Amino acid sequence: MATLYYLILAPMVYLAVAVSVLGTLWRIARLLRAPAAPPPPPIYPSRKPSWLFALGDALLLPSVFKHNAPLWAALGLFHLGLAALFLGHLELVADFKALQLIPHSIFLGKGLIGLTVLVCLMYFLCRRMVSPTKELSVPEDYLLLVLLLFTVLFGAQMDWARTWFGYSSMGVDEYRGYLSSLIRLKPSVEGVTSAGHSFMLVAHVFFANLLIMAFPFTKLMHAIFTFAMNKFRRG
Amino acid sequence: MEAQLHDSLVTLFESKLSTQMLLNLETCSRCGICTPACHAYASMPLAKYAPAYRAEVVRRIYKRYFTKQGRFMPVLGEAKDITDAALVELKEAAYSCTGCRRCMVYCPFGIDTQQIMSIAKLLLIGAQAEPETLSMLADMSVSKGENIDALKEGFLSGIKRLEDQVVEKWRSQGEHPIPTDVVGADVLYVALAGAHSIIPAAAVFNAAGEKWSLSFFEAVNFGAFVGDPTKTRLILDRIVNEAKRLKVKEVCICECGTAVRVAKQLKDAPFAVVGLTEMHARYLRQGRIKLRKLPGSYTYHDPCQIARNGGVYDEPRYILRHLVEDFREMSPDPKYNWCCGGGGGLVAMGEETLEFRMQSAKVKAEQMRGSKAEVVVTACENCHTQLSDLNRHYALGQRVVFLSSLVADALIP
Ligand code: HEM
Ligand code: SF4
Ligand code: SF4
Repeated sequence: MATLYYLILAPMVYLAVAVSVLGTLWRIARLLRAPAAPPPPPIYPSRKPSWLFALGDALLLPSVFKHNAPLWAALGLFHLGLAALFLGHLELVADFKALQLIPHSIFLGKGLIGLTVLVCLMYFLCRRMVSPTKELSVPEDYLLLVLLLFTVLFGAQMDWARTWFGYSSMGVDEYRGYLSSLIRLKPSVEGVTSAGHSFMLVAHVFFANLLIMAFPFTKLMHAIFTFAMNKFRRG
Repeated sequence: MEAQLHDSLVTLFESKLSTQMLLNLETCSRCGICTPACHAYASMPLAKYAPAYRAEVVRRIYKRYFTKQGRFMPVLGEAKDITDAALVELKEAAYSCTGCRRCMVYCPFGIDTQQIMSIAKLLLIGAQAEPETLSMLADMSVSKGENIDALKEGFLSGIKRLEDQVVEKWRSQGEHPIPTDVVGADVLYVALAGAHSIIPAAAVFNAAGEKWSLSFFEAVNFGAFVGDPTKTRLILDRIVNEAKRLKVKEVCICECGTAVRVAKQLKDAPFAVVGLTEMHARYLRQGRIKLRKLPGSYTYHDPCQIARNGGVYDEPRYILRHLVEDFREMSPDPKYNWCCGGGGGLVAMGEETLEFRMQSAKVKAEQMRGSKAEVVVTACENCHTQLSDLNRHYALGQRVVFLSSLVADALIP
């Protein structure tokens, strides 16, 4: 068991990051190397400056708001939640003054943000199980949502799991010790593998690893491509 | 399917993979927001008519041959080989899409389903499975470009017969109501093979005192309909060469959406390209023509290739304001106007596609009826034919007319 925990918490993390970074760079390079073809016309009426409107389209999703408001709300909560969680994880690596402008204990939401993301993910999944989105969906779509769901489930509920142990064992200090050791390339997992709810952390990291590796080989690349695509549409 | 054909189709597919095409293929999250955008789906809610579903038909093949995921874990994205069955699916997807790009307005990323369909069309051509009617028409256009000297005589005598009708609409000063082959003309007008595309335009040019010349070629580009880039270019080149020979400043394309779009995409040409509607709006603004008001109630159908994909929204409305008292918008926001359902070569295929065109454009017929206008005006040959068919099929009791013919009818000195 200890070996398995170690493999997931150290080598697999490095592997996942390497695959993800190299894969993403490779996919972007492939796009840039592709021949340029005469671009089809943009969608009119055009507004200037087009890059600004394209950025607005990419970040605010006005067309989703117009045509499917509930989905727009869920997407907004979900992506903002992801962004908040990303910043939260940064705080597990080191102190960032900018992030502590409003002083708070780490993981400000105490699992609530994770819960929100979870609800959104359930909504996305359910939506894909009924027509007409069902017919459009492929296994990748479900798999990614399930992967995210597991990642967030084990992550968000860690705080709650701690209460089983009266907040005594493994907390933010241990997480920090582990993450910063990873960054120093001297992985040390002892602090996070001996607590009662260590299995949750291991599961969280395991699913996150899979997700990170999947990023460049799936539709998650929309996070990057959306900017170029929207610029093309705006001309 | 034979191995050789299979491999040549893979190579053809690869030839379409530009940066923008790769983005179109790799960004879709299958969210389905575009689903209700397509008139075919809105009229017949079957999954195969959802834009993203059509695109997936192409995308599955893309994944199989060109992505790591498709090679190593094909089940994830339902990656698929090119087979005879796949060709049947490609044909159904591509030739039920009119290329209106309404779905592109809905998509959060702006994925261009029409572009993706151009891959399907190219593969079908490669497999000689494209609609025969369209490729025959394209070949005829190309060969006309090669044999123009032999055909000139017949063309000129045909034109001669139209001259009286032009003079009926506008008594011009010059000796030729329909000038051809005028070196140094300001405008080369490229019409369609039909009197309705020549007579009204000629009358308006003459009324505006334009120094113009009628092209020997027709504007419609069947190469673009069938999706063959080589033929598209050959058909366009006939016009480009004529324009260069006559040293014109502008090429004016008749009321044909696809022809306008294809010609406007020309880069580095020594002349400008305008559509007939823009030309007429310009004459009005400059006071070069004057119009009387026509009785009745009117609505305007924005041809997708001229409005959403060409940006010409204001000009037809400007003209109509001078032309009629009672104008009613068809769609609250013209960007969202429903496609007529006849683009992408569907109308050119005639009876073959009539039933599908009528069923898939039910929403368009409802929109026409909803306008409560007596006259539906448009500025595209395809749209005109399709809207007239809809008018008949759904017994709408409206009149479908070309904007240019209204302008010609309303000319006053
Ligand atoms: C600036 C960055 C991003 C933008 C503009 C963006 C935009 C979008 C849009 C427009 C959708 C709607 C399509 C849909 O419902 O499928 C979507 C869905 C989604 N996005 Fe993002 N996204 C971004 C970043 C990310 C990142 C970093 C992730 C990584 C985990 C992500 C994961 C997802 C997921 C899982 C869905 C739901 C897919 C589904 O319904 O199955 N997004 N995103
Ligand atoms: S381009 Fe038009 S016809 Fe084609 S899928 Fe999109 S909405 Fe439908
Ligand atoms: S709206 Fe765009 S991303 Fe969503 S399914 Fe349609 S094409 Fe794909």
